Amino acid sequence: MTVHPTVWVDEARPAAAPRRGALRRMLARNAPGYLFLAPWLIGFFGLTLGPALVSLYLSFTNYDLLRAPDWVGAANYVRIATDDPKFAAAMRVTFIYVVLSVPLKLVFALAVAMAFNRGIRGLTVYRAIFYLPSLLGGSVAIAVLWRQLFASDGLVNMLLWKAFGIEGPSWVSNPDYSLYTLVVLSIWQFGSPMIIFLAGLRQIPTDMYEAAEIDGAGKARQFFKITLPLLTPVVFFNAVIQTIEAFKAFTPAFIISEGTGGPINSTLFYTLYLYQEAFGFFRMGYAAALAWILLVIIALFTAFSFLSARYWVHYDD
Amino acid sequence: MSITLSRRSVLSGGAAALSLAAFGGGPAWAQSARLRFLWWGSQERADRTFKAIEAYKGVASDVSITGEFAGWSDYWPRLATQVAGRNAPDLIQMDYRYIFEYARRGALKPLDDYLDKSLNIADFGQMNIDSGRVDGKLYGVNLGVNSSIVLYDEAAWEKAGIEPPKPGTTWEEFAEKGAALSAKKTKPGFYASADASGVEPALENWLRQQGKALFTADGALGFEPADAGKWFAMWAEMRKSGACVPADVQALDQLNIETNPLTTGKAATAFAHSNQYIGYQKLNKSRLGVSSYPKVSAESPSGHYLKPSMLISVANGSAHADAAVAFANFLVANPTGVEILGVERGVPASESMRNGLAPKLNDLDSVMVKYIADITPGVGALPPPPPPGAGELAFALKRVAEEVGFGRATPEAGGEKLVREAQTILKRG
Repeated sequence: MTVHPTVWVDEARPAAAPRRGALRRMLARNAPGYLFLAPWLIGFFGLTLGPALVSLYLSFTNYDLLRAPDWVGAANYVRIATDDPKFAAAMRVTFIYVVLSVPLKLVFALAVAMAFNRGIRGLTVYRAIFYLPSLLGGSVAIAVLWRQLFASDGLVNMLLWKAFGIEGPSWVSNPDYSLYTLVVLSIWQFGSPMIIFLAGLRQIPTDMYEAAEIDGAGKARQFFKITLPLLTPVVFFNAVIQTIEAFKAFTPAFIISEGTGGPINSTLFYTLYLYQEAFGFFRMGYAAALAWILLVIIALFTAFSFLSARYWVHYDD
Repeated sequence: MSITLSRRSVLSGGAAALSLAAFGGGPAWAQSARLRFLWWGSQERADRTFKAIEAYKGVASDVSITGEFAGWSDYWPRLATQVAGRNAPDLIQMDYRYIFEYARRGALKPLDDYLDKSLNIADFGQMNIDSGRVDGKLYGVNLGVNSSIVLYDEAAWEKAGIEPPKPGTTWEEFAEKGAALSAKKTKPGFYASADASGVEPALENWLRQQGKALFTADGALGFEPADAGKWFAMWAEMRKSGACVPADVQALDQLNIETNPLTTGKAATAFAHSNQYIGYQKLNKSRLGVSSYPKVSAESPSGHYLKPSMLISVANGSAHADAAVAFANFLVANPTGVEILGVERGVPASESMRNGLAPKLNDLDSVMVKYIADITPGVGALPPPPPPGAGELAFALKRVAEEVGFGRATPEAGGEKLVREAQTILKRG
């Protein structure tokens, strides 16, 4: 949550006082407040709002970094909407990734959290170990490791051969499978939703389960009638955060395809396409337009989640 | 006659007078010459370049140079952002593909005024000087000459008992020999050749052998859908016969030395740039042989041309352009500088430098120098400057080649698709 500054207006001051004096007095009175807010204000205007507005302006220009931006109106947006097969390919790849990785990751995280919730000896150690992939997940080293695991002579194929006698393909370099190796990588980084699920599970009063058990409800029934409904606020939170993260995913695809989004655009994440346009072909204006479209898509998804929340999220009021 | 002085010029004059006074007169200017040099390349190149920078202190003790380097794909975003931020390095390593865009956008300094004064490159030969010219002005100095090259694992061909490709081998013979080598199955998952259907210089060489080109002089596409279709069909045939690696092995090749199927032990032959021979040999255990590219027919031209593997340019806004040019001259026309850089960036363009270097070269270096000397009589002209946006063609070619390789498109459809995409790219610029 961001804390917004509150500006106090001095109500005791007579209304007829000269305006300039009033403003100065108000500033003087609030100066210490602004001073303390300065790091945030400078960061917000200088590093967030300013660049965002410049990027909005650039999205209406052709800009190659070397020459001054050249105003082209909505041409970039028109091109994206009507005449860009790579945009369509990137959207397809990104949506498949979001739709597969977010639910699978949440299910997996919940399953692990429930296992931990039974009170395992040495829980804190296991929790730390299972959280580790999330800390490393965005890193270059893991993506490189993934590339090795799923290569034609990688560990995965070795295990397949030893266990089932199957000769596996080169998973990362085959357009039929490469995206799914990235989905698996994403699921493996289940640590942060798992920790949040675990905290949520701890909040559910145990007497509810006792009561349900006395009434003859089985484990499955208990899960669907008690655990899941009471956990919906946490599920909602995790779903929103993970969806946003999934849309913004970049590093794994960049490393595994070495920035190409290949083979045959099969790992061309939206952000990777944006990066290629900006830093591969120096079409900064076009890339800025792509970025704004991504912002709108994420905003729509988030808004939809919040609107739907009233129908399925139960707050324990 | 009246002289008007702006406030700024008075100020800077005053400052200069002040600094002169502070340093007791004399070359106070030169003492403050701190230059930045940005290049792309491997660690090997960085080691040599830093050594040259160190040695330059003995030539001009008053100039200090800071070197920065990056990999090829990170290099261009970094350079573009620095130039856009008015923070361009004084010395810029340039590529023939980009020099036109940078020069025409005013980012580089014309060097004609320095010729035969502090820049002594007269013995480069006209062609090697002109490769740094844009619209008649000199914007880049040739740092080394290279060309395309075929590299092969000598032991692998010998073990299979098949004669490796040599100058004059036709593509048809290459495909036959390749299939024969792969059929011997000397080790599992090993093939005669990498799949070069998605490698732009390979396609270019093949087109040039038939009197065509990637781009025409007026910036249009220099080949037809049928040409590209034939190219993809030739490789599809080799893929089928096992002469080259399958598509999912080739897809791991990111068009650099480290990931090429030759280096990763999947293929016995690679298609590369001649100056990369040293890098390839460093990463390959068995000895590598060299050859020019296979030919369409015995009578066709070689398709090769001599290209500046890279150039050195001076930023237009450099405050120390004179010092920068002097250092560039040290790298290409001073025996000390030339010897330190060796032939890692390509063969020195200067004849006297090349001759001076020859006795000091090791075996590997000599193979490369000899290769360039051998193909020189048969080379064609440098292709016309690539049109804006041409850099994207290499990506499109790799992708379409993969579509054909994985059987998603027929060679004919691939040819049409490539030309269609290339035309869109060129129209966009």
